[in-house]
Amino acid sequence: MQPFTYTMPRTVAEAIAAFRQAGPDASYIAGGTSLYDVMKLDIVRPRHLIDVSAIEGLDAIETGRDQLRFGALARMSAVATDKTLLRDYPVLAESLWKAASQQLRNMATVGGNLLQRTRCLYFRNGTGNPSSVGLYPCNKREPGSGCAAIGGLDRGQAVLGQSDACTAVSPGDWPVALTAMDATVELAGPDGSRAMPIAELYRLPGDTPHLEFMLQPGEIITAIIVPKTPAGRRSTYHKIRDRESYAFALASAAVALDMDGDHVRRAHVALGGVGTRPWRARAAEQLLVGQRLTPESALTAGRAALEGARAGKHNGFKVDLGARTVADALMIAAERSA
Amino acid sequence: MPAAPFAERARFDARDKVLGRTQFTADIQLPDMLYAMSVPATIAKGRVRSVAIDEAMKIPGVVRVLTAKDFLAPIPPPRGATGMAAAPAVPTIVPDIAYRGAPVALVLAESIEAAVQGAEAIQATYAPSASFSPLITSEGAAREPSEPVKAGNAAEAMARAATIVEAEYECPAQHHNPIETLSTTAVWSGGRLTIYEATQGAQVVKANAAKSLALDPAIIDVKSSYIGGGFGQKGTAQRQTALVARAAMLTGRPVKLVMPRGQVFHNATFRPLSRHKIRIGADASGKMVAIEYDADHQQSRGGQFPPQYHESQPQMYGVADYDGTTANVRIDTQAPGYMRAPHPHPASFAFEGVVDELAYKLGKDPVAFRLAHDAKVDPVSGHPLSSRFLNECIAQGAERFGWSRRSQAPGSMVLADGTQVGFGVACGAYPAITSANIARLRVSADGSTRFAVSAHEMGQGIRTVIAQALLRQLDIDPAKLDLQIGDTSLVPQHLTAGSWGTASVLPAIDAVAAKMKAAIEELLAGRQIDGNLHRKLATVRRPYIEVEVSTLAPGQEERALLGLRAAGYALAGPEYPAFTTFSYIAHFAEVHVEPRTRRVRVPRVVSIADCGRVVSLRTAVSQVRGGVVWAIGSALREETEVDPRFGGWLNNDLADYVVPVNADIGDIDVSFIDRPDPLLNATGSKGLGEVAMVGAAGAVANAIYHATGRRLRRMPIRIEHLL
Amino acid sequence: MTNYADDEDQAAKVDARQNVSRRSALKGGAALAVLPLTFEGPAEAQPTAPMVAGVAVEPAHSVLLSTSVNGKVVEFRVDARSSLLDFLRERLALTGAKKGCDHGQCGACTVHLDGRRVASCLTLAAKAQGREVITIEGLSDGEGLHPMQQAFIDHDALQCGYCTPGQIMAAVALVNEGNATSKERIREYMSGNICRCGAYVGIVAAIEDAASKMRRA
Repeated sequence: MQPFTYTMPRTVAEAIAAFRQAGPDASYIAGGTSLYDVMKLDIVRPRHLIDVSAIEGLDAIETGRDQLRFGALARMSAVATDKTLLRDYPVLAESLWKAASQQLRNMATVGGNLLQRTRCLYFRNGTGNPSSVGLYPCNKREPGSGCAAIGGLDRGQAVLGQSDACTAVSPGDWPVALTAMDATVELAGPDGSRAMPIAELYRLPGDTPHLEFMLQPGEIITAIIVPKTPAGRRSTYHKIRDRESYAFALASAAVALDMDGDHVRRAHVALGGVGTRPWRARAAEQLLVGQRLTPESALTAGRAALEGARAGKHNGFKVDLGARTVADALMIAAERSA
Repeated sequence: MPAAPFAERARFDARDKVLGRTQFTADIQLPDMLYAMSVPATIAKGRVRSVAIDEAMKIPGVVRVLTAKDFLAPIPPPRGATGMAAAPAVPTIVPDIAYRGAPVALVLAESIEAAVQGAEAIQATYAPSASFSPLITSEGAAREPSEPVKAGNAAEAMARAATIVEAEYECPAQHHNPIETLSTTAVWSGGRLTIYEATQGAQVVKANAAKSLALDPAIIDVKSSYIGGGFGQKGTAQRQTALVARAAMLTGRPVKLVMPRGQVFHNATFRPLSRHKIRIGADASGKMVAIEYDADHQQSRGGQFPPQYHESQPQMYGVADYDGTTANVRIDTQAPGYMRAPHPHPASFAFEGVVDELAYKLGKDPVAFRLAHDAKVDPVSGHPLSSRFLNECIAQGAERFGWSRRSQAPGSMVLADGTQVGFGVACGAYPAITSANIARLRVSADGSTRFAVSAHEMGQGIRTVIAQALLRQLDIDPAKLDLQIGDTSLVPQHLTAGSWGTASVLPAIDAVAAKMKAAIEELLAGRQIDGNLHRKLATVRRPYIEVEVSTLAPGQEERALLGLRAAGYALAGPEYPAFTTFSYIAHFAEVHVEPRTRRVRVPRVVSIADCGRVVSLRTAVSQVRGGVVWAIGSALREETEVDPRFGGWLNNDLADYVVPVNADIGDIDVSFIDRPDPLLNATGSKGLGEVAMVGAAGAVANAIYHATGRRLRRMPIRIEHLL
Repeated sequence: MTNYADDEDQAAKVDARQNVSRRSALKGGAALAVLPLTFEGPAEAQPTAPMVAGVAVEPAHSVLLSTSVNGKVVEFRVDARSSLLDFLRERLALTGAKKGCDHGQCGACTVHLDGRRVASCLTLAAKAQGREVITIEGLSDGEGLHPMQQAFIDHDALQCGYCTPGQIMAAVALVNEGNATSKERIREYMSGNICRCGAYVGIVAAIEDAASKMRRA
């Protein structure tokens, strides 16, 4: 790891000023669970770390007004145990407590989690660093070097949204739930503040997989807004992984249902673990509208959610598993009382 | 006369462990110490052309960089040496790269951060080999038949069989992954080299360091007082030891290396991928009469870990006619090695699967089928099996598990939500091996007792066993009992593995206690003095009595002790001159398979073991539970994977090599037959740590078949195999 | 007792042949030339006082850190890259927290930061500025055991002991979080701590046991 300077500003304005002053080799750091990890792997080499975690007033969880608002520095563990969320938006709470471990959730922030780096093995192992050993080409890490995952051990790779340059899965759970629930992120940066729908935060890899987020240099996420919806109560985040806990998703589904009796009035469906970004399944949502929810119709919707999926050598099962995960999630959500 | 049952006692070293006071190798702090970081090769095979260290040396805090130039030629093994003593030295830093991740340099620095940055700044250039063979199916893989194991005439018996089942099973490459990585601290002082290393074989490390560094073994001490999990990985000489020792010698400063896990995956041994082609024939009455079993496994170009997959299968079910072949398939990888239940675990997964297949084919209950195949004789040696209570294990286990609630047809047990339920049984055996031992005991008038013996503590509870046995024999103060193990400066240390720790230490304790009692009796010369031994000594104003003994395994010759002193290796069994003996276990697993997403859960396991007399019940129960957790991990999760285009291991961390977490494990109910073996040693105790795991993966796989009707013959069994 | 001069002589010969440093040989003093087959062997290396490792980085890349560790305020200049784990282990010689993966994948490094459990290997030491760190060494007062430590002994919730400090720090936090409500919940909330020896059954039993005692206390 390269040496770096370390500063701990107390306000957003100070942080942005520090970034401006430090220049292009600067990076913000919040909980550090993703950034410090990839720094140890020599994948990211900032020369100046601006630790935003001491900025005051950015960790509030507000659920009492007409929308849900999460300060970017709220800890994942704090949001996961918010009583309103547990009751009215289980999809959000579950996406948090099913991620990582309690130790990491106590460190990681809900804003920083949106920018978690991929777990693609070729991305992580590729620098020949003392802790990662391998030396693999990776367009995300080194543009133009190629993608070793294509044609390689791709069991964990994406089946949706991949390109010829990159098949890395977007690793998060919380971003998937937020995507399903139409969240917006608030940003502050050198050119002022703005807001964007979360769907616009994530880029598809295309031929520039090294560009992952639609953020301008020096921009910082300050808050996450989720519109309130009656579908929140009938919601769940269903996560299938290689072990019961403390693992990334093979496939996951965030669903929320607005029901009229046993018929669907409106559905929110997004997938994790299968796409190169949090994957909103609009086709499945439309298919469900007006439908009576049965195990069969749920599976049909699940299949629709995976429409357009393309498998590599070892990850074909994800297409089937993804559909089944959506189907189970729909049935779990539907059983919850509104 | 066999020993009476033992009372339960708390783990000897638990208090220090819960306080965080136990000192592991990486915890050693010495004044003036340097931090080392090894630099891994980034090619799969070839030669190092150059290693540029200039950039690294410019980094503040970097003190020195060792490359191949800094190492002497190793000493070849002595002529006529056998066993471990004949093993060539583990390479140091050498220009030839045999596998990805091999060390090309060692950076020494004043801090961990500087050492890591220095390692990142090392620029090596390579001449990669034009081709390499990363998989057993790759071009260039060399198949090399090894020792067969035969009893009777299997071909003839097979020809008479009325029912034959044949199947091929496969077990993947796996890594031990103790939570403590490989670590070594070396001190060069006053012409002596002291190596602190987390090793199961302090003598092995000592012998290898002497060879690797061309040193007289007499000036080397190796100390391994606590090991943060070994599981066989830390039983063989490691690549980093000589590097760190050499660094200490060249700088005159203590040097510590804690190897990053990614490098451990590449430099340490691993469980090789193995393949098992098995035919079992049964006669018209449904009795197994013939077994043909071809096994092979992945091997490195020069590796020595043998494909002994017939270590316990011939003795399982009383089948007289057995034909087992073995082979190495040599490819380009680091050397594979011993990983918990090295051969019986994969062999039993395959063999117990085929036995299960045969039971179903014959329409027999898998428990009743196994019970009908008790054995009295080892068909290979012709010796009687000295103690075998496998049928008792099976019967007791079936009762505790509630086997009678099972219905035979696959897929016939389904919960209301569609979850498929399966019950599975499988059994295992593990050779009861004994090492020679040397022990020294000093009982002092001041109330203290020091006992030095050959053993290593890696969590199996050997200190607890030692304390248990010693305190039963001698009236000494347990609060001031110091158990000094894993230290070559005190007594020679056997490689502690293969579940021989307990059976090897008990005879030494018996002998040393008898000698101590005799010495005290002689000292007292008929005087009657109340109180414990310390009190007796104090009363006659004798500061201490020290006695030393050496013990041998049944039938072992005195010269075995030479092997112990030279290389930490002096083993006998499971075939002793007049008998053969094994430990046995029966595992019963319940699995639940989700109807749609097909996750497999193992809510409960019942395991009943016959390890002879149980010396320490509490640590024994923990050992078996640990073995079952290992088997669940193996059956459902663990596999280390190679991308054949690159070599090396891709999923080389604990996020991607998926070991079980707490949420994966349900109830594990453990019990013991606790009947002494009449011949192995006076206590009647056999081994446990390995047999604990044997068969448990098979029980899980057999339960999955029972739940789903899917016979899955390759571990790990994952979601995609059940969709 | 062996002769000092002989020892030095032999040491010098070995050193010359191996072209190695005489530095510690000269500093060291008497040594033993033969394998000692009595208890009077070389002294054990023991953990020494804090401040073992130095700072080997330019001032601009370091941080002056003032933090409370186990109730004591410490002030150190640290390499900004240093993890809280390496700071505790190598600078303060508090080696109870362990390095198992160095990437937040095993939990062996778990400590409490302002009362919450964290993975100290993925926490920059600099982040401890002005905060309170509790390690396994500071869990109980003096010689007494915390109820969780006692429960780990009583239920044999450990084998090799390497992950144990992290398990115990996680377990204490789990109870304080209110997560010790069922076996299932304990298992889920202990899943960030890998025990390769497989002591999970004992760990769950220990936490259930200690939780009831902690609630009474």
